[in-house]
Amino acid sequence: MNRLACLVLIIGTALPAVAQDARKSGFDFMGPDTQAMQKDDLANPGMLSVLEGEALWKANAGTSQKSCASCHGDAAQSMKGVAARYPAFDETTQAPLDLAGRILQCRTERQAAPAPQREGRELLALTSYVAHQSRDLPIAPPKDARLTAARAQGAALYSTRMGQLNFSCAQCHDDNAGGHLGAAPIPQSHPTGYPLYRLEWQALGSLQRRFRNCLSGMRAEPIAAGSQDAIALELFLMDRAAGMRLETPAVRP
Amino acid sequence: MWRAVGFIAVLVSAQAQAQALVPYRIENGAIAQSLTGVKGDTAKGRAIVVERQKGLCLLCHSGPFPEERFQGDLAPSLVGTGSRLSEGEIRLRMVDSTKVNEKTIMPPYYKTEGLERVAANYKGKTLLSAQEIEDVIAFLVTLKDDTQK
Amino acid sequence: MARALINVPQKSKRGEIIEIKTLMSHPMETGFRPGMDGQLIPRDIIEKFVCTYNGEVVFSAQLHPAITANPFISFTTIATDSGTLVFSWTDNKGETQVQTASIQVE
Repeated sequence: MNRLACLVLIIGTALPAVAQDARKSGFDFMGPDTQAMQKDDLANPGMLSVLEGEALWKANAGTSQKSCASCHGDAAQSMKGVAARYPAFDETTQAPLDLAGRILQCRTERQAAPAPQREGRELLALTSYVAHQSRDLPIAPPKDARLTAARAQGAALYSTRMGQLNFSCAQCHDDNAGGHLGAAPIPQSHPTGYPLYRLEWQALGSLQRRFRNCLSGMRAEPIAAGSQDAIALELFLMDRAAGMRLETPAVRP
Repeated sequence: MWRAVGFIAVLVSAQAQAQALVPYRIENGAIAQSLTGVKGDTAKGRAIVVERQKGLCLLCHSGPFPEERFQGDLAPSLVGTGSRLSEGEIRLRMVDSTKVNEKTIMPPYYKTEGLERVAANYKGKTLLSAQEIEDVIAFLVTLKDDTQK
Repeated sequence: MARALINVPQKSKRGEIIEIKTLMSHPMETGFRPGMDGQLIPRDIIEKFVCTYNGEVVFSAQLHPAITANPFISFTTIATDSGTLVFSWTDNKGETQVQTASIQVE
């Protein structure tokens, strides 16, 4: 071995080992074409919902005739970082609440508008617009002791075997991430881009809709949208993904 | 090695959905006796294995099925199953693989009790019927290692 | 019908080949899918897409039920003069939606 190679070897071993984050977003499991679709804001179909959300943000709603902007002003300022720290503990209901639930609450309580449907177009558009304001920010679950019980509930749900097929989330997404269920690569299930445009749905959808897909695949009873179980599981997943970048609106196969 | 005695799930007439399970006996890591007493049909068994919505097998397993694309890679290949495992050992794994490996991801094909949150239209029903399991077993025992290529 | 995202290059040189991208918000319901009630959801698709450049048709397409929801269409054309691009989408009920974009050519 020549002297230069020896030198490189010595320097290489002297450097401290840098811990690699083993966590990967679902983005990394996609093919290059789908990744390109997500990265181009003019090709990303999720951006259509974000645009719709922007229009809704500025429009007067309900008998209050107030818009979101009436109270919150420019979303790019007021909503920055919000999606990154949801689910959060809600003072009004004294319970954990997800972002969509919070928007729903604003609609009914503060704008006196009819309750938008969970997984309906209006709520998805508003949620995607608000969450989009946190794009590229790290997921930062709130350090709130009142969420402890929900965190434990979420962790328990994640590792409980369910359904006729008797699977737990952990068995696929912790133990077998990177493997293939038939043709489908199994990602690590980090909620880095919700609400997101799923090519399979040909529409934008929420994390809780994604839960339904998995659970029905396992032949298990779906978790009701907006239920405490759903919020607890979402909170657990956000904890697990703490520090990872938000990509909303993501594109997924 | 643990020993368990099978049970009879009594069909209560009010519960039209629940099906009665055939009793079986686990001994020495196998269920030696056929669930139905009727010999399994090899061709039907192969058809169940490759039909992803039915047997679900190829979602996790790969095997000697050149016409099937995108076979899963989460579980051992089915090639040589008949050489590695006895008929009884295969039967146990199909009926309830958690009796072999508590942490398995293989679904229990002949179990209706002790499952959480089963969807309403699957409650009380086994993944495959007893005869379908016998068909699959009859097929899997034919998968011998071919060492003389 | 809802809106479309249109991307036209901000500035282009005369004679240059430019790419125009459009992303249309539309369910593209095939008419073959049953809904939750078991009845077929009626067909609702874009059938024709036309782009004119200062009044001249530079691109047109016929779309069929196989096209996915929210169709993304991109095409190239030669930058001739500054002016207006008019995009129109016509659905199977005969309704047309129009959106315009201006183009600057040096």
